[in-house]
Amino acid sequence: MTTTLWSATVLVCLLMYVVLDGYDLGVGVATLFERDPAHRRHLLESVAVGWDGNETWLILLGVALWAGFPLAFGTILPHAYLPIIVLLFSLVVRGVSVEMASQAPPAPRWTTAFGVASLLASFAQGFALGTLTSAVHLRGGVYTGSAFGAFSWFCVLSGLTVTTAYTALGYAYTKHKSSGLLRESAARRGALATAVAGALSVLVLVTVETTAAPLNLGSPGRAFAFAVLLVFAAGGAVTSLVTFPWRRQSVAADALPLGGLVIATVSVFLALGVARYPVLLPPGLTVDSAVGPHSTMVFILVGIGLNMPLVLAYNVFAHRAFAGKLDTEGVHS
Amino acid sequence: MSLLDLSRWQFAITVMFHMTFPAITVGLSIFLAVVYGLYWRTGRAVYLQMFRFWRRIFAVGFAIGVVAGAVITFQMGLNWGVYGARTGPIIGPIIGMEVVTAFFVEAGFIGVLLYGDGRVRKVTMFVSTVMVSVGTVLSSTWIIAANSWMQTPAGFKVVHGQFEPTDWMRVIFNPSFIWRWPHMLAAVLISASFFVAGISAWYLVKGRAKGFARRSMSIALGIAALLMPVQLYLGDGVAGHELPYQLSKLEAIEGNWDNGNTGFVLFSVPDQQAARNIAELDIPCLGSYIAKDLGCKTAMPGLKLTPAADRPDMAATFWGFRVMFLAAVLMFGTVFAATVLRMRNRLWTARRFHRFVLWTTPVGILAILGGWVTAEAGRQPWIVFGQLRTSAAVSHLAPGEVLFSVIGFSVLYLFMLVAYVVYIVRTMRTGPERDDPGQEPPPRNLPDSGRVRHAANTVPLGSREVAAR
Repeated sequence: MTTTLWSATVLVCLLMYVVLDGYDLGVGVATLFERDPAHRRHLLESVAVGWDGNETWLILLGVALWAGFPLAFGTILPHAYLPIIVLLFSLVVRGVSVEMASQAPPAPRWTTAFGVASLLASFAQGFALGTLTSAVHLRGGVYTGSAFGAFSWFCVLSGLTVTTAYTALGYAYTKHKSSGLLRESAARRGALATAVAGALSVLVLVTVETTAAPLNLGSPGRAFAFAVLLVFAAGGAVTSLVTFPWRRQSVAADALPLGGLVIATVSVFLALGVARYPVLLPPGLTVDSAVGPHSTMVFILVGIGLNMPLVLAYNVFAHRAFAGKLDTEGVHS
Repeated sequence: MSLLDLSRWQFAITVMFHMTFPAITVGLSIFLAVVYGLYWRTGRAVYLQMFRFWRRIFAVGFAIGVVAGAVITFQMGLNWGVYGARTGPIIGPIIGMEVVTAFFVEAGFIGVLLYGDGRVRKVTMFVSTVMVSVGTVLSSTWIIAANSWMQTPAGFKVVHGQFEPTDWMRVIFNPSFIWRWPHMLAAVLISASFFVAGISAWYLVKGRAKGFARRSMSIALGIAALLMPVQLYLGDGVAGHELPYQLSKLEAIEGNWDNGNTGFVLFSVPDQQAARNIAELDIPCLGSYIAKDLGCKTAMPGLKLTPAADRPDMAATFWGFRVMFLAAVLMFGTVFAATVLRMRNRLWTARRFHRFVLWTTPVGILAILGGWVTAEAGRQPWIVFGQLRTSAAVSHLAPGEVLFSVIGFSVLYLFMLVAYVVYIVRTMRTGPERDDPGQEPPPRNLPDSGRVRHAANTVPLGSREVAAR
């Protein structure tokens, strides 16, 4: 029971992170395709107020794994060592460049660093997720493996998929937060990114069967949940694809691309989660073999679990304090 | 260099780099809350000017601290996977509490603190500054609890090599935590005070922005003057309550190999292999005096009491402690002089003293780094004292990938450090004049008119741009 509850908590952290830092990193990637320095600044400023909160979900994800499934934490991280190190490098550069660029404008070099680091962070994240499909080597409960042992072409595919999906989320967020020319270009490019991310996701779902961690759809319950989630994902993706190009200013035109993409992203991750549970790393590292002692599980379920509503409230506060569109029309500094 | 050495160097580099920033920003976040509160209550422009100027220094330092801190959390699994797996049931939940009670609080309110000026009501601004400082203090609390457990582990049992908590109260309120927590808190407040006082002193030396500089320096040196005597007492308390559990650390701090020295070793070049000091300079009897024996009879224990396999590296422990101790003496002298000058009404005319205070800007930070070197190097060869060896806790990685990460972090962090120093110097040169609310045109919207809403619910980028200039 505690194991299942904590697995759900870890999954919630993963989903919150992917959605929140997804748009955040995606906006960063979008700066790379933007030529107008004013537009690049608008993009950077739109995430300057929230990047810290979004990224904190990654820390909570890591620590939730560490506290509840210590063996998994001590195994998955060395298993995906290089991509995670590159991810950390990129997040360092990114966080510093956001503050440098917004505290001491115009800072074109920091803005470029922000874009490049966002791109690298997205790809490294997808790549690291991809390594979860490679078999891990344990000896006496201790990780043993080589530097590139976890790498495969699937990791590259996974990296590309995550990068394009984040980029699509970033454009959806930009369309939601901007107006004028920036909104138009976000609409155009967002639709393209959504299409590419959708196609790559289908490829991921098809080819994951060939990895060391094939989908487990043995029971009818799993197969049904998997199918329903994929229908949701398809529905979300199609909604975004259709509504991205809507040009008239309306709540629907601004909110639906983002909403659709969020549903699609969450559904794909949930579907993969359903088809994989309880395996954390193939072949044999499961939530049950990695779970911590009972006294720890009770402590974290109460201590961290009870704080989750507060955590969500802080997130809502942070986003609401800066609700509304940035004035991106006409102001060319 | 072995895999273990590489991983230890990586950790040393990343954790020292990280610590530099909380040493500035924890105290600065409290300082910001205080000056914004003063502005809110009194409406005096100088407090808003102080808030805006110090916020610039805070903003970038805070960001670097956050991202460099995230790195450390993941290193516990990346490079210290065995440690992560074994101590996870105890350290994981403590850090988890830090994330939900501190990181998210900071992250939730930092946006308003940094960019809310003129966009939200003053009361919202003030509450946000208070919440960010509460977050930074809570963060220090949890992290000291986790580290203190590694120093003086309590409230656990070991099952199949994994640490299992049996009594959470004893885990968190372990013997050294009670003293190390107030010690660390006082340390970050003092280091930030010296940082603020030093930068303010530069303006006094240059004769610029005097009202701003005097008020900043007055608050900073005042806090430091109150805290320095307390800190000396707390530091002594840490020594008295942690070191009985860690005699090897005490022996390494004192710098003697053999028993019998009643003096205080001021300077030493230890040779770990040969278990002797190549060069040594003692102050006779001072060691005995520090141990509260004025008869010059109490001798310091030597490191040879500890078996060679369990000895920490004496040079790192000894010198880490000396840096902290000497910096503390220097800081005590500085605030003492400042208090005397203040009482004689000469604090604002003592130009040589201003110049001196400018040079003390980083002293508090150095003291904290020295203290951490003492705490961590002195705990070796254990990662959990007496329970788990550092050599048994390291991940079995390929040396090449660890080398890559060590080089990467070193280059990246050196660059970030330089960038931050350059940024501070530039911000200092531009000065707080631009942050004086009297120097800018009155805002189009009164900050007290509720959450500012503009036509079509748009927030002009301009408001932040104005605040940024």
